[in-house]
Amino acid sequence: MKILYLDTSSSFLYCAIIKNDECIGEIKLKLEKDLSALALDEISNLFLVTSTKPDDIDKILVVNGPGSFTGIRVGLTIAKTFAWGLNKKISTLSSLDAMAISCKEDYDYFIPVIDARRGYVYSGIYDKDNNIVLKNQYISLEVLKATLDNLPGSYVFVTNDDIDGISPITKYDPDFVAIVQKFKDNEEINPHGIDALYLKLTEAEEKLNA
Amino acid sequence: MKDIYILGIESSCDETSASIIRNGTDEIATVILSQIDIHTNFGGVVPEIASRHHVKNITMVIEDCLNKANMSMNEIDAIAVTYGPGLIGSLLVGLESAKTLSFIYNKPLIPVHHIAGHIYANNLVKTMKYPLIALVVSGGHTDLVYMEDEYKFKRLGGTLDDAVGECYDKVARVIGVGYPGGPVIDKMATLGSHTYNLPIPLDDNSYNFSFSGLKSAIINLVHNEEQRGNEINKEDLATSFQEVVVDIITKKTLKALKDFNVKNLVLAGGVAANKGLRDKLTLICEENDIDYTFPPIKYCTDNAAMIATAGYFLYKEGRFSDLQLNAKSSVELQ
Repeated sequence: MKILYLDTSSSFLYCAIIKNDECIGEIKLKLEKDLSALALDEISNLFLVTSTKPDDIDKILVVNGPGSFTGIRVGLTIAKTFAWGLNKKISTLSSLDAMAISCKEDYDYFIPVIDARRGYVYSGIYDKDNNIVLKNQYISLEVLKATLDNLPGSYVFVTNDDIDGISPITKYDPDFVAIVQKFKDNEEINPHGIDALYLKLTEAEEKLNA
Repeated sequence: MKDIYILGIESSCDETSASIIRNGTDEIATVILSQIDIHTNFGGVVPEIASRHHVKNITMVIEDCLNKANMSMNEIDAIAVTYGPGLIGSLLVGLESAKTLSFIYNKPLIPVHHIAGHIYANNLVKTMKYPLIALVVSGGHTDLVYMEDEYKFKRLGGTLDDAVGECYDKVARVIGVGYPGGPVIDKMATLGSHTYNLPIPLDDNSYNFSFSGLKSAIINLVHNEEQRGNEINKEDLATSFQEVVVDIITKKTLKALKDFNVKNLVLAGGVAANKGLRDKLTLICEENDIDYTFPPIKYCTDNAAMIATAGYFLYKEGRFSDLQLNAKSSVELQ
C-alpha cells in the first residue's frame, strides 16, 4: 500500500510517499512564491528518486486547508487530477490536524495556528490524545487567547508563521508517518467532489452578505 | 500521417473549459463551464471566487470533454494549457491540472498564450493564410498583431488604457443596462441613431488605442444630463458609442493591412462577437479585397478549443514545456 501525502497549504511544500507505514521519500521545502511553479516538478523528482511510478500509488491524502488560498488550490488541483486521472482513492485532512499530530512535545494541549492576517488566525485546539477540543475555525487571535484561559493544563502553539503575542511556540515539522497513520482512513471522496477548506468567505462575498 | 489529438485546458478568467482538437482544425469535443451567473451578482469577475469555482470544476470539465469525444487520455497526444495572460489564481488551476496530467500520463505539456489561442480560433473556421493581421478585441485586450507565418507574432499596437470590452462593460453600467455590457449595447446600437457628439479616441498614426477618454466623456454626459433633469436616450447613446468605437478600430485595422500590404484579416476575442464590429469589418474588407475571417460566437469568448488549436502548431514545432511552467498574469505574445 503506497500513499502519496501532499500539503501545499502554506509557503512550504510537504510531500511524502509512505509505503506500509514507512516513509520511502519526502520533501520539506520552503518555496514561498515559487510553490505553484515548482511543486509538481519536485513531486515528479520524488517519484523518480524513489523509483515510484504514478500508477504505483494506491491512495492520495491531501491537505485541503486552511491556509494560503492559492496554496490550497495548487495541492488540491494536483491531488484531484492525479486521483481522477489514474482512478485512485483520495481523502483530505486539515492542515491543523497535520500540525497537531506532528507535535511530540510534552504538553496537555496543542494549538496549531496559521496567520490569517489582520489579527485573525486559523486554529483549533487538540488534546494530547489528538482529540479536537476546539474545532478548526477562522478566529480572532484575541478570542483564541481568551479561550485558553479555561484550558485545564499546559499548552503550546504550533506554527511556522511569525505571529506576535503567542507563547510558548514550537515550530511545525511534519511527521509524515504519524500523519498518514492517523488520517489514512479518512472518508474516501470522489475526486470531483474534493473541495477546499477555506474557513473564510471571500471579501466580495462578505461585503455582499453584510 | 498520424492524426494528432490535443487536449486543451483554459481557465484564465471565469470559464473552465476543456477541448479536444484533431490536427489543429477539427473540433472533436468542447466543454465550457461559465461562471457568469455567479459573477453577475458582483457586477464583474471576482478573482478569488473564480479561482474557487475552477478548482471545484476542473476535473469534471475534463472528464465531460473526454466522454463527449468518446476518448480516453491514452488517445491524447499532448496537453495544451493557457499559462497567461489572465487572472493568476484562475490560471493556476488549469495549469496545475494540465501539469499533473502531463506527469501521470507522460504526455508533452504545451504552454499556450491566451491571445494566441483567440487568434487561432479562426483556424477552426478555415485554415489561416499568412501573412495576416489579427485584430484581438476582448475584455482584457485590444491588440493589432502581424503574423508573418504560423505562430510568429509581432504586436503592432494595442490599448494604452482600457480594453474595448472593459469600456463596453463600464458604459453599460453607467447607462444602467447591467453586466456583461457588450452584447446588450451591441443590440441597443441597432435601435438608435448617432445623435450624441462623442470624442474620437486616439485618432493618430499609431496602431494604439485609448478608450478611457471616451468612457469618461460618457460618464460626464450621463451625469450632466441627470443633473439637468434630462433623460438619456439609451439606444441613441449606445449607437453613438458603438459607432465611434467601431470606426476607430476599423480605421486602424485597415491602416495596418495597408501598411504591411497584407490581404488577410482575422478577428479574435470576446468582442469579436460584436455584430456592429463584424459588419463594419466585412464592409471594409469587401471594399479593399481582403480575405476576412471571424470565429463563430462560441469560439469568441474564452474556450479551450482555441487553446488546443494553437497548441497543435506548437506541438508540430516541438515547443513543449517542463513541469516548472508557471502561470503569468501578464506576458508578451510569443
